[in-house]
Amino acid sequence: MKVKAKEKDGIVKVKVLAKHQNIGPEEGEKKKKEANFITSVVAKVGDKIVYELSGSGFMSKNPLYKFKYKGKKGDKISVTWTDLKGETKTKEKAVK
Amino acid sequence: MMNRRKFLGLGLAALALAPMTKLNATDFRKEKPDAWKAEKPADAIKALYGDIKPEEKSVEIKAPKLAENGGKIPVVVKSDIEAKSVAIFQDANPRSTVAVWTVPEGGIVDYAITMKMKGSGKITAIVEGKDGKFYSKVLPIEVSKGGCGG
Repeated sequence: MKVKAKEKDGIVKVKVLAKHQNIGPEEGEKKKKEANFITSVVAKVGDKIVYELSGSGFMSKNPLYKFKYKGKKGDKISVTWTDLKGETKTKEKAVK
Repeated sequence: MMNRRKFLGLGLAALALAPMTKLNATDFRKEKPDAWKAEKPADAIKALYGDIKPEEKSVEIKAPKLAENGGKIPVVVKSDIEAKSVAIFQDANPRSTVAVWTVPEGGIVDYAITMKMKGSGKITAIVEGKDGKFYSKVLPIEVSKGGCGG
């Protein structure tokens, strides 16, 4: 997972690139692969949630998520995704 | 030694504390399972929000008019409304709901994702405002090569 966070005028722009096959149930049947996709993405600064998404199998392979929040430089943003099988990945990055 | 009454009391205290340790505000996949099974956007919206009549204004969707690759379509949802949640649906895939966001307090609604579409269809975005009203936008897009394993 790649995370980029950049602040300008009090707004932090975040880009998250997750590495995931993101296969929906129908697609899995066709490709003879097990369905598995990112079901949730949560970003936090400290204890505060700044982004929260519930996803489906209709996100693309290696999905890109972009969002904005009110924040400042130097804060540490931590992004976590969880998939259907329960696997999670977390990445922490300082806001530039 | 711990007696029975004390033991039971501890259990109750633990139960009372449990909801507070919950990490996420809303897990829409768990709380609204039917919304993720619906085939049509209208049914998915009903399963997610109930019988609502959204106003078609104040919501913006940015997506290519003609997507060459249905496997990775960049879609942006924007709104100036103070929102509680945002949802995206489409009518080209076997099921309709693509993503639902919980908007944090003071959050900015400017969300970009990359989604899959099996063919041409309509993207619908719903914004649930803090004022209790719903706002929507529908955007038809054309897909030249389907993205669901096609």
